[in-house]
This record gives sequence, C-alpha cells and structure tokens, in this order.
Amino acid sequence: MKKMSVLLSGLFVAAGAWAAAADDVVVQEPYVRLAPPNAPATGAFMVIRNTGAKDLKVIKADNPLSKITELHTHLNDGGVMKMRPVSAIEIKAKGEAVLKPGGLHVMMIDLKGPMKEGDSVPITLSFDDGSSKVVEAKVVRPMVAPAAAPMEHKHH
Amino acid sequence: MSERVLAVIAALLAALVLGLALFWHPAPPERPLPVAAGPAGGAFTVQSADGPISLDDFRGKVVLLYFGYTYCPDICPTSLMSTAAGLKLLSDEERQQVRTLFISVDPERDTPARLKEYAAFFDPGILGATASPETLADVAKRYGVFYARQPADAGSGYVVDHTSETLVVAPNGKLVGRIPHAAAPEVVVAEIRKLLIHP
Repeated sequence: MKKMSVLLSGLFVAAGAWAAAADDVVVQEPYVRLAPPNAPATGAFMVIRNTGAKDLKVIKADNPLSKITELHTHLNDGGVMKMRPVSAIEIKAKGEAVLKPGGLHVMMIDLKGPMKEGDSVPITLSFDDGSSKVVEAKVVRPMVAPAAAPMEHKHH
Repeated sequence: MSERVLAVIAALLAALVLGLALFWHPAPPERPLPVAAGPAGGAFTVQSADGPISLDDFRGKVVLLYFGYTYCPDICPTSLMSTAAGLKLLSDEERQQVRTLFISVDPERDTPARLKEYAAFFDPGILGATASPETLADVAKRYGVFYARQPADAGSGYVVDHTSETLVVAPNGKLVGRIPHAAAPEVVVAEIRKLLIHP
C-alpha cells in the first residue's frame, strides 16, 4: 500500500514536470467583437494567464468563423495606428498577456458569414510546446473601453 | 525632548509637502491637443450613398471627421464607438448641431453603400463616405491625415495604416482640434460642447 502511494505520488510529480503549456493557461474574459455590417474582419480579445513556472508562447490561433486567423498587435506611431502581425505572444511564468482593443489581438480575417451577438466562437490557442487549448469566446457588440481601467482586475 | 521630536516631524512633513508640490506632477487627463499652426483643413466634397457631401453643407455645425476603412478590424470600431458614445451623451438639441463623417481611405473596397451601413451600425448619425484616390490624397494632406497601404502577409489583401485621431471642425468650417484614439466619451463631449458654447 505504501509502495503504491509512493508510486502514485511519483506519477503526479512526473505529470507536474511535464505539464503541457495548455494546462498552465487560464483564459479570462474572452470575447469576439461583433463585426459591423460589411466589415470582413474583427478581433478577439482576452486575458491569457500563465500559472505555470515556465515562460510560454502562443504561436498560433484558429477559429472556424474566419478563413484566416492571425496574432496581431498595434503600434501607435504619432497618432497613426499600424496593425502588424506578431509571430508569437510571449507570456512569462506567472505572468499574463492582455489582448485588448488597440493592442494585441487575435485577428479574424475574411469572415465566412455574418455573426450575431451572443454567438460562441471556439478559438484554439496553440502553444510553443505543441499543446493547445480551446477557448469559447462570446460575440459582443463593441463597447467603449473604460478609461484606463486595468483589465486584469475585472471579476467574473 | 519630545518638542524636538515634534519639531523634526513637522520639518519632515513640511519638506514632504514642499517636495510633492515641486516634483509631483500627476499626468493631466487625456485632452484633445489644439492644432497649433497645423494643417489648414478647408472645403472638400466626398460621395455618400445618398449623394455628395460637402463640408460647406455643415456650416454652422460642429463636424467630426474620421478617416478609416471598413476592413479595419479594431482601430476604426474602437474610435467610432468612442465617438458614438460621446454623441449619446449629448442632448437631442446638441446632437442637431453635430455632424460626424466617416471617410474611407480605401475606396477600392469601400463603396458608399457599404459605408452607409457600416457607419450607421455605430450611430445612426454617423455618415459614411469616400472619394476618388486623388480627392482623398488632397483632403488627407490638408487635414494632416496619414494613410498608407500595407500588404497583409497571409494573402488576405492589405491593411491600411492610418491616423486614428478624430478631427474636429468648428461651425465656421475651420479645423480646430484632434481627439485622440479611443478617447473617453466625456472627452468627445467636452470637445463638442466647447465649440457649441463658443462657436
């Protein structure tokens, strides 16, 4: 019996050591911004927390509603907004990445059809260790960002 | 002895207050920057689904101008939402004195019909329009607006870098201000009211 528990705890330790990035990730407040009529692209936003002890990277995102899904960011260059793809979103151990309007976002390009408020979009985040995680993001009407309110302090 | 301690504490507090007064300058609230000897602005005519729109048509009203495009996934919706939220804070009477124009710098893909529907999504009062590339280039130059196509790397066409400030034209037709990207609705309202009170 004692042997058994040693073996079991050994297994748990091993599982901990080899935990996939996806298991360490907690995604908060995911949402897709309802695309205005005739807009062929929109963004998905969320807070991605890395609860693990290792840095990780989101290297890809995917969703069934758009033909193309990319990771993007914005650079504000003297009032000119420049949207650029990023190859990865790095999240430090115990850190978080805030994807929000005007900054990092999952870009959904070439929407296959109109979306409506309240729809749920499964977004697959792929990590640099090969693991992935599906996040259900609700479609919401665009809202005005609260003035300088830190996203990370939002409660459910 | 205790008097000395009190005196020291008082001195320290005084130094702290003085230090704060001298060195602590909290960031001022986000505020539209005045256009100092900036772009001239001036008359222009763009095409909407309901016919041509000239800036002169809006003489006597405050005009908000935003240059963007409908393929814009984030920046334009964010700016237009902030403008729309600002407009909603105005009284009906005040709203009558304001016109908002969304001008597409991507006439190749944005037809006036598309733009009408797109702009109205944010607020029925926002008009969508565009113009020929030549007219757009001229208007943008005169209004200090920058835009440039950037190829998108995934074969999805192209994106357009563009100024994401909302330009403010006074009732006399003069370009007078710029509202920063994603400004709080209160900032939008303050900028409009300033001009309604001192036209």
